[in-house]
Amino acid sequence: MKLLRLAAIALAGWLLAGAAQAADTVNVYTIWPENYARPMFQEFEKATGIKVNFIRFSSGEALARVIAEKNNPRIDVLFGGPVETFAAGIKEGIFEPYKSPSFDKLPARFKQADGQWTAIADDPLVFMTNNAFLKSKGLKPPASWEDLLDPAYKNQLQMADARTSGTAVTRIFSVLEVNKRDEDKAFAYLKKLRQNVQVYTKSGGGGTLPVGLGQAGGGIFFIVDALETRSKGYDVAISFPKEGIGTSAEAIALIKGAKNPVEGKKLIDFATSAAMQSKLAEHKVNFVPANPEVKTDPALAEILKGATIFPIDDDYAGANRKRIVDRWIKEVLGPQ
Amino acid sequence: MRTERAREGRRTLGDPALLGVLAVLWLLLALFVLYPLAELLVRAFSDDGRFTLEPLLSSLADAGHRAAFVNSLVLATTVGVLGTALGLLFALTATRSGLSRHWLTALDAAALLPLVSPPFTTSIAIIFSFGPKGFISHHLLGLDNVTAYGFWSTALAETLTYFPIAYLTLRPILSAIDPNLEEMAFSLGGSRWRIFRTVTMPLCVPGFANAFLLLFAASLADFATPLILAGNSFAVLPTQAYLQITGMFDFKGGAVLSLMLLVPAIGVYLAQRRWVGRRTYVTVTGKVGQRSRSRAVSPVAAAGLAAASVAVAAVILYFYALLLYASLVVAFGANETFTLRHYHVIFTEGLPAIRDTLVIALIGMPLGGLYGVLVGWLIARRRFPGRQAMEVVSMINYALPGTIVGIAYLMAFNDPPLALTGGVMIIVACYVFRYSPTGIRATVALLQQIDRSIEEASASLGAGTVQTFRRVTLPLIAPAFFAGLGVVFIRSMTAISATIFLVSLSWTLITVRILENMTELALGPAAAFSVFVIVVVFAVVACLSAVLRRLRTPTAGAAAQSLLGG
Repeated sequence: MKLLRLAAIALAGWLLAGAAQAADTVNVYTIWPENYARPMFQEFEKATGIKVNFIRFSSGEALARVIAEKNNPRIDVLFGGPVETFAAGIKEGIFEPYKSPSFDKLPARFKQADGQWTAIADDPLVFMTNNAFLKSKGLKPPASWEDLLDPAYKNQLQMADARTSGTAVTRIFSVLEVNKRDEDKAFAYLKKLRQNVQVYTKSGGGGTLPVGLGQAGGGIFFIVDALETRSKGYDVAISFPKEGIGTSAEAIALIKGAKNPVEGKKLIDFATSAAMQSKLAEHKVNFVPANPEVKTDPALAEILKGATIFPIDDDYAGANRKRIVDRWIKEVLGPQ
Repeated sequence: MRTERAREGRRTLGDPALLGVLAVLWLLLALFVLYPLAELLVRAFSDDGRFTLEPLLSSLADAGHRAAFVNSLVLATTVGVLGTALGLLFALTATRSGLSRHWLTALDAAALLPLVSPPFTTSIAIIFSFGPKGFISHHLLGLDNVTAYGFWSTALAETLTYFPIAYLTLRPILSAIDPNLEEMAFSLGGSRWRIFRTVTMPLCVPGFANAFLLLFAASLADFATPLILAGNSFAVLPTQAYLQITGMFDFKGGAVLSLMLLVPAIGVYLAQRRWVGRRTYVTVTGKVGQRSRSRAVSPVAAAGLAAASVAVAAVILYFYALLLYASLVVAFGANETFTLRHYHVIFTEGLPAIRDTLVIALIGMPLGGLYGVLVGWLIARRRFPGRQAMEVVSMINYALPGTIVGIAYLMAFNDPPLALTGGVMIIVACYVFRYSPTGIRATVALLQQIDRSIEEASASLGAGTVQTFRRVTLPLIAPAFFAGLGVVFIRSMTAISATIFLVSLSWTLITVRILENMTELALGPAAAFSVFVIVVVFAVVACLSAVLRRLRTPTAGAAAQSLLGG
């Protein structure tokens, strides 16, 4: 009994020992998964002595929170996540414009003109297929958008749902670009593709594990997610369509009314500079650096070699996004 | 009738203790249920400070949303019926089949597994088992290219996840039925089937109604299961609401869709009141008869019950064996070498989440248990102005999808003077007010079986409300108290939909870590966390049962013996 009581007291003591807060801190919501974000924040702490308090949310959840907290912001910086999440945030007036020293060096598609957000990385789409599946069907890794329409893929593809995922929106705009922005032609293709889709997942990477495990034959994913699947030991092929495929920038932004603006700006300076982006490869974070001063990791460059990758035109995508997604929901997603 | 009610009202007002309790409860309900709901309504129906019905009308006009509404009702009804049936099967097996204690403990444990496991686990196990390359569908049955997405897999996953609620609700009721009652009917020459139909089942009606209501509401509010399993042709409202908010950044639309869910939830509640509420189901009258071994179920039927329960339990155990296996191999499906590395990860990197979750669950547990029996007792036993309103209000947070509750809390408690976000109390409050309805319903159902005269005797001997409650009622409803307590604890360890919006830089949760692991494709740590959660919950539940056994309350023996397994 005595032992039990001692154990209880020890447990209570441990439970009550809350985390002590350091003096210099910056509070962050990260949209990058923790295994990518954590090493970057550790590098930042090493370089500046500023501690990063962070928690990870998917892009939609992070944005919903920042909007709800607008009158009393809990964080200083929104870190990572596709540009379109940030575009939605601008409409809600949640960001404070800030131009880091790297701002001027970046090409136009990697920054918002007023400095509402700045890109920290680039993330192209790829086709990812399960090698065992390809072998069983006698197929080669798909090398064209048309290849995915092969009946052998029937009920075998998983890709993201455009209602929740930036990955999906980038994919749909890729198809539009490939079809020279002829919407009817693009939608005719998307409807045909639907026949082979097993399920549209809620998150961009939702289909990677099923493909890795062979529950699905393949899909269209961001390269980071595809390479992460491969590095976990799943036997998958990564390929690109000869017609080309889109890419989406990952961004960072300062929150309006941030309680630690000085530290927040330092984090943005760090993230947009070569200081952080040159560490991406070292930590096996397979984003393509956005800062032109940083060379793409040779291993990553090897995979990208020969691939046709085009950026999605911000103005065109911004002006048409809602209409295109609505049309996709109506014509493609619903029961056929 | 009216004068009687007025007299009851006066009696309430004349009882300062009762009045105080009512005031505190209403204050809490106003703060943690009504105020966030009001905040939500304002968001949904105002545009630049003006009232507008536009979001509601456009939602109703959308054929996709109407289909989702119908789908939600179909799914919730299916889950309600199947889950209650499965719960009844287990409850009958537990109380009437005469299985040995060890078997019953094992069955209890299996039945509790789905309830105590973190979100997504059942869904993922179903995909692994019934997917195109699923273990059962492909490797055992040799089927190719089957689909694991759609109505039936969603209904199956939700039924397996929620039927333990029905079991927990029905079991104390079945065991509280005095076996002598069945015995009497038996000696009067009734056939077993007739007794079952005309004595046992009618006495369970409040239990059925409560179980159905709880399952219906749980399914209606569940977004995690359909998110993974519903696929593209079977949309349901909570998932649509979640997508609307987190995907389309359309908060108004999401709020409206969620509010639509309140309509069927309240409808079922009212129906339940109408058909069940007025009858009496008294079987505990104070003088507990000599317990006799029930002969109401024939040996053949008992064996059938046991076999069916064991079969269901086997399916559940198989699902969780898969989970345990995934936590012990390097990468499930790719590199199946044995490793303990994932457990090392959760006890190093994952330690803060474990600590936070335990603190939150331990604070919430007693609060939730107490709140549950208090409200349940007031609703079932006291006549006071606003009683029905209290019953409805106490169910609201349970019936709303978690996403919406989470966001409503976030908006309501972000600004001073009520700046609770970022702290621990907002998470605790969310759990208590969202998951105590199980305790409330269990208390109500149990009290409907206990004759009022017991409490009236106490009152007429001069005891006040507080004393009667503490010394007479509380011991009688201890099983419901512990059920409520247990559910709040379990949910604090396993729920995610609401609290993902309430975790903060300083307070995080295991379930959020699990979701994070899944995003990182780290199936191993996710499985290890899940196994850890299940082990902790089982340990706590075992302690609760031990306490309960010690209490040896005067409520019909078996009910007190063990409610939560063991």
